[in-house]
Amino acid sequence: MSITYLDAIREAQAKALALDSRVYIYGQDVGPFGGAFKATKGLAKEFPGRVMDSPISEDAMIGSAIGAAIEGMRPIIEMQFADFSTVGINQIINHAASFYWRTGVPIPLVVRLPSGGTPGSGPFHSQSLEALYAHYPGLVVMTPATVEDAYSMLLEAVAIDDPVIFCEHKYLYYHLKADALPTSAMPVGKARIAREGRDLTIVAYSAMVHEALAVAGELAQEGTEIEVVDLRTVKPLDTDTVMASVARTGRLLCVGEAFPWGGVTAEVIARVASEGFALLDAPPQRLNAKDTPIPFHPNLWAAHRPTAQSIVSAVRNLLAM
Amino acid sequence: MPQLGESIAEATVISYLCKEGDQVAADQDLLEVETSKATTTVTAPCAGKVVKWGARLNESYPVGAELGIISVTKEEAERLGISADRSGSLVAANSPGVHHQPEDPKHKPEVEPTVSGLPVPAHASGASYMSPRMKARMHDLGLHASDLAGIAGSGAGGRVTIKDFEQFIANIQKHKLSSASTMRVAVADAMRRSWSRPLATVGLPVNLEPVLAHRKTVEPKPGPALYALRALALALAENSAPAGRLVGNKIVHPPAIDIGFAVEAEDGVLVPVLRQADKINLRDLTERYNTLVDLARKRRLPPDATGGSIATVTNFGTFGLIWATPIPLPEQTLVLGLGAGRKAPFWDEAKQAFVPIMEANLTLSFDHRVLDGGAAGRLLSRIGALMGNPSAL
Amino acid sequence: MAMLESVVSQGGSDGRDLHLRAFRYMLLARTLDEKLASLYRAGKIPGGGVYLGKGQEALSVSLGIHLRKGDVYAPLIRDGAGRLAFGETPLEAVRTCLGSPLGPMRSRDGNVHRGRPKDGYLPMISHLGAMISVVNGALMAKRYKGQRDMVGAAVIGDGATSTGASHEALNQAAVEKLPLVLMVADNQYAYSTPTSRQFACKSLVDRALGYGIRGWTVDGTDLAKCLDTIGQAVQEARSGGGPQLVVGCLLRLCGHGEHDDASYIDPLLKQAPFGRDALDVARTDLLTRGWVTQATLDQWHRQLAEEVDAAVAQAQRDPLPEAAAEKWNPLATSHLMDGQFEVSA
Repeated sequence: MSITYLDAIREAQAKALALDSRVYIYGQDVGPFGGAFKATKGLAKEFPGRVMDSPISEDAMIGSAIGAAIEGMRPIIEMQFADFSTVGINQIINHAASFYWRTGVPIPLVVRLPSGGTPGSGPFHSQSLEALYAHYPGLVVMTPATVEDAYSMLLEAVAIDDPVIFCEHKYLYYHLKADALPTSAMPVGKARIAREGRDLTIVAYSAMVHEALAVAGELAQEGTEIEVVDLRTVKPLDTDTVMASVARTGRLLCVGEAFPWGGVTAEVIARVASEGFALLDAPPQRLNAKDTPIPFHPNLWAAHRPTAQSIVSAVRNLLAM
Repeated sequence: MPQLGESIAEATVISYLCKEGDQVAADQDLLEVETSKATTTVTAPCAGKVVKWGARLNESYPVGAELGIISVTKEEAERLGISADRSGSLVAANSPGVHHQPEDPKHKPEVEPTVSGLPVPAHASGASYMSPRMKARMHDLGLHASDLAGIAGSGAGGRVTIKDFEQFIANIQKHKLSSASTMRVAVADAMRRSWSRPLATVGLPVNLEPVLAHRKTVEPKPGPALYALRALALALAENSAPAGRLVGNKIVHPPAIDIGFAVEAEDGVLVPVLRQADKINLRDLTERYNTLVDLARKRRLPPDATGGSIATVTNFGTFGLIWATPIPLPEQTLVLGLGAGRKAPFWDEAKQAFVPIMEANLTLSFDHRVLDGGAAGRLLSRIGALMGNPSAL
Repeated sequence: MAMLESVVSQGGSDGRDLHLRAFRYMLLARTLDEKLASLYRAGKIPGGGVYLGKGQEALSVSLGIHLRKGDVYAPLIRDGAGRLAFGETPLEAVRTCLGSPLGPMRSRDGNVHRGRPKDGYLPMISHLGAMISVVNGALMAKRYKGQRDMVGAAVIGDGATSTGASHEALNQAAVEKLPLVLMVADNQYAYSTPTSRQFACKSLVDRALGYGIRGWTVDGTDLAKCLDTIGQAVQEARSGGGPQLVVGCLLRLCGHGEHDDASYIDPLLKQAPFGRDALDVARTDLLTRGWVTQATLDQWHRQLAEEVDAAVAQAQRDPLPEAAAEKWNPLATSHLMDGQFEVSA
C-alpha cells in the first residue's frame, strides 16, 4: 500500500475529526468537492456538518476560527494556497497570534497552507511563507518534509492549544510516497538528522530536504559525506540539533525555497554565528530563491529556486573554503 | 602611474621633465617620481603631444592614477593597439584626424567605494587564516599560530583547516610526549612574541687585551661580559634612541639605563637587572652583578630584580660559542652578545707583523623597525671603543 | 460579576425597570469617561490613548443590556455603557486604561482593548471590522455544541464599514445564517473623515439588502427608541431571523481620542437633532415621565461618582508590572517556545 503525502494529510484530518468532536474543517471548496488538492476528499460526507465550504473570505475564515476556538472548538482552516493567506494575515498575526498573550485564553487553531512551487504555478500559487509567520510571536510553524511527518505533525498541530501554521508542500503532495502511516513520531519541535555525515551540514526543511538528500547521495560517491538536518518545524527552531551537527562537521549550508531576505536560512545562520561561532571552520552559507517574484515558465522557475545542481555547487564552494 | 616595483603602491611626483604642449617620443621620460625605495621616472607610453598634466608636484599618486593626457594620432593609436576610449593614463583627445570620446551626458559619475577589496578570509590566500573553530581549539590546547608552522594546509590558499589540525594533533599523540615546564612555556611564548618583529644582527670582533689587562688590577674581578654591559650602558647614556621601543609611529625613549643580563637557570633563562648601569662604576656593578647571579642560580631573585630593563647582555661565549644571534626580549629592542675569547692574529701596523691577541665577537641583535644597520653598527663600534679603555668604565 | 438578566422593553413596569437600569449605566459610563479624561490630562494614562463614548451611551447601552449570559459581545471603542451593561466593572475598565497587571489584560494590552473571552466578552483588536467574524465563529461553535437562542453582538462605526473585514464577516454571517446583531454607530465621523468620504449609499442600512439580511435604523440619541429597536433586533436574531444590521444615527460629542480636539466637526451638525446629547435627552425624558426626581438623579450621580472614584483609587494602588517577573511566553504550550533570543553572557 502506497501512501502519498497528500493521503497522509487527509488521513490525519479524518483521524482528528473522528477522535475529537471539537475539530472541524473550514475553507474554500473543502466540502463536497473535497478541496482544491483533494486534501478533504470524502470527509464532508463521512463527517456531516464538520467539513464546510467557506465564502472566499480569508479574513472571515480565520476570524471565525478564532471565535470558535475561544468557545472551545479546534478548527482547521484550509487556505487554498499559502499565497492567499496574506489576505487574512491580519487575523492570523494580530489576532490569533496575540490572543493568548493578551488574554491568557489559548487559540487552538490550525491554518493549513499549501506551499511551495510546482512547474508553471507562477508568482501567486508557489509561495513559501514560513518566515513571514515565524516572525510573529505566538505561532507555531510546521514544515513537514516526509509523508510520516505530514501525518503525525498535523495530528499534533490539531492537539496543540496554540495557533499552528502548517506549511504543506504542494509538490510533495503526489510525488512523495511512503509504505505506511507511522505509529510513532519524533516530538514536534525537534529536528531530524535525515542523513548522517561528516564533512558538511545542510540544514533544510520541506521539499528542500529531498534535494539535499539527492545532493548528499551524489557527493557520497566522491567520498564526501554530507549531513542533512530536516528542521521539521521552523518555529520553534531546534537550535540544539543544528548546533550539534555543525559541531561535527564545522561547515554549514542552509537551504530554503523561500525568498532570501530574512528567511529561515538567515535565522539559522544568525543563531549558529552567534551561539556556535567557535564551531565554524568556514563562513556559514545560505542558498535561497532569488529575490524576485516566482517566475511562471518552468525554465525560469528552475533557475529561481535552489535545485540539486545549485546545491551541489554551493556545497563544493563551501568545501573549498 | 605605472607599477614601479613589486611592492610599490604609490609614488610622489617630484619634477616635470617636459611641459604641456611638448611633443614627446615613445619611452621618453615625462616625470620624475619618488617611491619608498628609489627615485625614478615615468616614461611616455607612445609618441604624441602632452596636452595636460593632471599630476601635481609633491603629491602622491597610487598605481593606476591618471597623471596626464597625451594626444596621439590615429595611426599611432592603431600601431600600439590602444583603444580610443579613456583607459589608464592615455586618452585620444581633440586633435584633427584623431578619435575623440565625447563626454557622455548620460554617464553619471560613479560613487567611489571608500573601502575596496575587503578581505574575505576564507578565500584569502595565505596560510595565516584561522577559522573561529581553529582558534577555539588552539586556545583549548594552548597553541599559537607559530605552532601551526609545518602543518600542511588543505584549505583555500593553503590554510590549515580544522581537519588538518585535528589530524596533526592526532598524529602527535602517537609520539613520545613529555610535559614542558612552566619556564619553558613562558620562554617559548616570549620568544614567539619577540620573533613577530623583523630582527637583524650585526657583529664586530673586539680586542680583549685591554680588558684582560685591566682585570688583573682589580678585585673583585668583573667578567668580560660585565665590561660589555657597562660599555653598553655608557653608549646608551650618550644616545638612548637605539634602545627605544617603537609603538605605532612613536619611539618611546628609555626612562633609565637599566640593563639586564642573561643567566641560565634550569631549562630557561632569567634576566636580572642592573639598575642605572650608566651611573654606577664597574667595581660597584661587579658586586651587584655577583649577588644577582647567585640569587638567579638559586631561583631566589626578588620580584624587583627582574623586569624593566631596556636592553640585555648575554655571554654566549660561556658555552664556547664564537658567534650567536640571540633574540631580544619581546619588550626590548636590543640584545648585546659576547662570544668566547680566543687567540687570533692581529696586524700590528707599528711592528708590521701579526701579533696574537685575545679576541671575541660582539654581536648586537636588534628590532629592525627601530634601527637600521648603520645605527646598530655605530652603537656596536662605540661599545667596542669603550671596551678598549676599560679604566674609564 | 454576575450579569444582569435583561428584559425586553415592553413599556410596562419591566420596561421601566430596564429603562432606569439603562440610564444608570449611561450615567456611570459618562462619569467614568469624565474621570478617564481627567486622568489623561493629568498624564496618568500610559500611551495617552483615551477614547470616550460621549454621545453614544444610549445606543451602546441598548445593545449591551439586551444581551445575556451565553451571548457573545464584541464592543468597540465608544461602548463604555454597553460594556458596563454586559457586566464589566469600572475597576476592570480603569485597571486596563492604567495598564495594571491586575486588570483583565494584565498590562499586555490597554485602554479599550479589554474583555473576558470566556464570558463571551471579546477584547477588540485595533483593526476595524476584525471582531465581527470572531463573533460569527463563536456563534458557529455554540450552534455546533447545541446551544440555542444565543445572540452575537458586534459594534462598528461608520468608518469601519469600509473595511474588507467587516464586509467579509457580514457576508459570512448571512451565508451561515447566524444570530448576529451588528450595530453600526454612524456618528458622522471616522476620526476626521466625514461620512461623505466613507460611503456613497444614502444610508448604511441600504447595505442590509445587499447582504440579504434585515436592516434597522434608530435615532441614537433617544434611549427609549434605542431600547425598543435594538431590543427587537436582538429578539429577531435570537429567534432565528438571521443577521440583523442596526444603524444608529448620532453625533460624536468628543474628539476621536482625548488627544484630538475635533475642531473639524461641522458646527451645523451640532444643531441637528442627532447632535443632541443622549444623556441629557434621557435625563429629561425620565424627569418628564416622572420616573425619577431631580433629587434621585443627584443621588445617583453622587453614588456613581463615588463608585468611579473608588475604582480609580483602588486601581492606582495596584503594583506596576515588572518586566523581570513577567513570563515572556506567547504560547500556551510552553515547551514549544522558540529559543532564547537574549544575548547570553
